[in-house]
Amino acid sequence: MIEIQHVNMVYPNGVGALKDINLTIEQGEFVFIVGTSGAGKSTLIRLIGREFLPAGGRIRVFGRDITKLRRREVSMFRRNIGVVFQDFRLLDNRTVFENVAFAMQVVGAKPREVRRRVPEALEMVGLTGKAKLKPLELSGGEQQRVCLARAIINQPSLIIADEPTGNLDPKTSLGIMDLLKNINIRGTTILMATHDREIVDRMKQRVIMLENGRIVRDEQRGVYSQDAH
Amino acid sequence: MLIRNIIYYFKEAFASILRNGWMSFASIAVVAVTLFIFGSFFLLNTNVQYVTDDIKEQVEIIAYVQNDLTAAETEQLRLQLIQLDKVKEVKYVSKEEALERLREQLGDLVAGYEEEGRNPLDDSFEVRTTIPEDIPEVAAVIETLPGIRRVDYGTDVVKKLFNFIAAVKWVGLAFMIGLAFTAMFLIANTIKLTVNARAKEIMIMKWVGATEWFIRWPFVIEGIILGSLGSLLPALGLTYLYNEAVTWAQINLYFLPLVNPDIILAPLVKLLLLIGATIGGLGSLFSMRRFLKV
Repeated sequence: MIEIQHVNMVYPNGVGALKDINLTIEQGEFVFIVGTSGAGKSTLIRLIGREFLPAGGRIRVFGRDITKLRRREVSMFRRNIGVVFQDFRLLDNRTVFENVAFAMQVVGAKPREVRRRVPEALEMVGLTGKAKLKPLELSGGEQQRVCLARAIINQPSLIIADEPTGNLDPKTSLGIMDLLKNINIRGTTILMATHDREIVDRMKQRVIMLENGRIVRDEQRGVYSQDAH
Repeated sequence: MLIRNIIYYFKEAFASILRNGWMSFASIAVVAVTLFIFGSFFLLNTNVQYVTDDIKEQVEIIAYVQNDLTAAETEQLRLQLIQLDKVKEVKYVSKEEALERLREQLGDLVAGYEEEGRNPLDDSFEVRTTIPEDIPEVAAVIETLPGIRRVDYGTDVVKKLFNFIAAVKWVGLAFMIGLAFTAMFLIANTIKLTVNARAKEIMIMKWVGATEWFIRWPFVIEGIILGSLGSLLPALGLTYLYNEAVTWAQINLYFLPLVNPDIILAPLVKLLLLIGATIGGLGSLFSMRRFLKV
């Protein structure tokens, strides 16, 4: 599903750069990308979302080299990806329902479809009954659930999440992880950057560790750090 | 699909105008104020043009004929004048006619001059040129013709008047162009604020796979709506005020001819709407270019 070959990324200050990354992720996997801040986690995630282009190397997603997409194709490519952000990125002046519906309207969904699927998604993330509230009337965990509902509403085959639990307390974080696991069980590939040791150790999923822009470890059913064994 | 999108664009545009109420209000106000000033200048300039054209129409050369010319010689002179370059019209005014005109103006003051041999006036030609500005030049030529005693066209006054009229016209035009650009700049800036306020929204749209034009349209439509709404106010205001002004002028400044409201107001309203909508639409296109790069 995702195939990364010899990808390099350079930043003038060296922070977040990537050096010769090689990586394959299969359909339906749940993958953690871990490492300290500045190790390159975010950069890798954002490269896969085609937010910018790598300095060198190839990135194939869904069988296509995304470094060669035209501008319009980038839009079409992103419709197959759900994105979850650390800071939620919800529109504060719209209700929960509108925030989720927004992602459907943008891709030209029928109003009838929107009315049917948004409540379904809200139910799945446990927000039934909060549809008419505005994001700022919700707790952080609830806001991240809205963000998750928005990410899955167009039924993407890949979800990329950059520190989705970074702003949440441990208990709330676990709730979000349960949701992500549920989404994963239904067949959606999940790629999540995090430095939350507890979560990674508890989930027992594939762990890819970055250090100074290089992959230093790639383990199935891994934990955050080796000395934790 | 297409119609659904169009409905969406308009919904979004209107929703955004309402959601960003104060910003929208500010944009409309900016457009309204600038277009009001622009429209005022348009009316002023058109009227100055109209009045000056009227004044120019009245400017003519009076060429006095030597009083010892025969009728045939006078006719010869008339033919000569009409064949001159840049001359549009030549009218012969006999000294009897000239006296009659004077009597109409001054009444009994000139009584008694009608008797044969007591008329002190000369026969004359009234010469008009195609372009009023050519009068001084043509007058100089006429003055050299044999049989002409004297030429009169209010020399200095006319020259000064023409210079003044030209200056008013160019200053007005420059002012109007400057104003149009100022309006464009202000509106682009105001819409940039709206776009700035919605940078997050645009980013989210990009992340969920909206195409660039899908993102652009609501903003462009919003700009056009704001621009049009902004032009409506000055259009209505100026229509009302101009009608009032003309009515007032007809009573108090009856000597001053103003352009008929029926003729000037329809083009003005169309022009204001067109400028408002164009400035609004272009303004939002310009101000959101930066945000589409992701």
